[in-house]
Amino acid sequence: MSDATNVPFGPQHPVLPEPIQLRISLEDENVLQALPALGYVHRGIEKAGELNDFQQNVFLVERVCGICSSIHALAYCLAVESAMGLEVPKRADYLRVVWMELHRIHSHLLYLGLLAEAFGFESMFMEFWRIRERVMDLLEMTAGNRVIISVCTIGGVRRDIDAEQARTIREELPKVREEVQRLVDALLGDYTVKRRTAGKGVISGQAALDLGAVGPTLRGSGVAQDMRMAGYAAYSELQFQPVTFPDGDTYSRTAVRAYEVFQSMDLVLAALENLPEGELAAKFKGRPDGAALARVEAPRGELIYMVVGNGTKNLERMRVRVPTYANIPALLSVLPGCEFADVPVVTLSIDPCISCTER
Amino acid sequence: MARMLRSVLRNALSKPATRPFPEAPRAEFEKARGLITFDCTDCRFCGACALKCPTGAIRVVREERRIYFEPFKCIVCGACLEACRFGSVRMGPERRKPVYEKPVEVYAKPETEAEPKPPDPGA
Repeated sequence: MSDATNVPFGPQHPVLPEPIQLRISLEDENVLQALPALGYVHRGIEKAGELNDFQQNVFLVERVCGICSSIHALAYCLAVESAMGLEVPKRADYLRVVWMELHRIHSHLLYLGLLAEAFGFESMFMEFWRIRERVMDLLEMTAGNRVIISVCTIGGVRRDIDAEQARTIREELPKVREEVQRLVDALLGDYTVKRRTAGKGVISGQAALDLGAVGPTLRGSGVAQDMRMAGYAAYSELQFQPVTFPDGDTYSRTAVRAYEVFQSMDLVLAALENLPEGELAAKFKGRPDGAALARVEAPRGELIYMVVGNGTKNLERMRVRVPTYANIPALLSVLPGCEFADVPVVTLSIDPCISCTER
Repeated sequence: MARMLRSVLRNALSKPATRPFPEAPRAEFEKARGLITFDCTDCRFCGACALKCPTGAIRVVREERRIYFEPFKCIVCGACLEACRFGSVRMGPERRKPVYEKPVEVYAKPETEAEPKPPDPGA
């Protein structure tokens, strides 16, 4: 170890949209070990959640993450609803699925673009992000905003999707699908892309499970674990199977996300097809009392919210366990042995969201 | 080669994916969450909007019968819109323009007619 060269990777680095530092020890060009240093974007959101009114927290937790924002709101709402014993109307459950899956589509398209950029495929990056804009437009048309869509509220949803909007989504998604299919074929079938991703950062299914990896990182190692199978919102009534790839490398993790885009499109269309009539939000009185836990599948993996209420309008405790936090040990275990030039791509392959991690 | 030629021709003849931004701004969606304004005609200055606002951008002073609104604290969540029972909060699709200074907007009841005085209990 004494001959090792220490290189700080981050907190500012072209492939990192958010600050994390990996202190990398190198021997020649090979990584010996990587140690993370976090804490650049801590905002104290968990504590703020104890100081706010529990209904206003919905807007706060949406700002934990800049990409999967509404999924945080959903997880928080599910936790509070379960603490209060609230029954959510069926229509709200289906609308939640529509918006969450649209969110997953734009998050995965963002990842695919960033990955392409990480190994210098700039035009692919721009193509993915151009298509992503069309999904963002669908979100803005239905929810009123592009990312922070604020549709979830305790007891249901705040907005409706009318017949006209549903028709637009049904017309738009197949066109988006066609374009994404063309790009995914180009990305996953390309020789150079395979050279940069296949066999890089390999983690076995058992090792990923042992290290507590979640989401596409785990499914890319062949473990079919998807929190949507637990059947929150309306997922129990929609048919789908988790997308898995067996190899556990960067290529597999990318392929999982690419095919999940198509799965999410199917889920949006199925949810719109079966959209029941009814109320948008359940009316409620009272305040959360007691502890409750909600586990949902965010684009990066399993997201856990725990709330402890004490019968007042403020929560006693709000705890957020985000997917990137669970995936960092898996990342650190695959970096030793990699070449230094592969570190950016392998780091990006867990789709790190540092703002989530530090809250 | 034929595939590439098709691609080249398509890109040469199609319109650009981008817009010349300041000259051609993007059309707003009808239901986009944008500019928040207050119409105090029916407002009772109850303060429900201020109570629900997660960022404290609204301050209602009942004695002055005024609403003080700080648009740059506002996160355009629309909670005030849902809280108002008198339809005094309005939300339009257009976005706020950038400015040099952050203003505090003051809204008051339009002075249409003299308000009836409450009956004097001593009379």
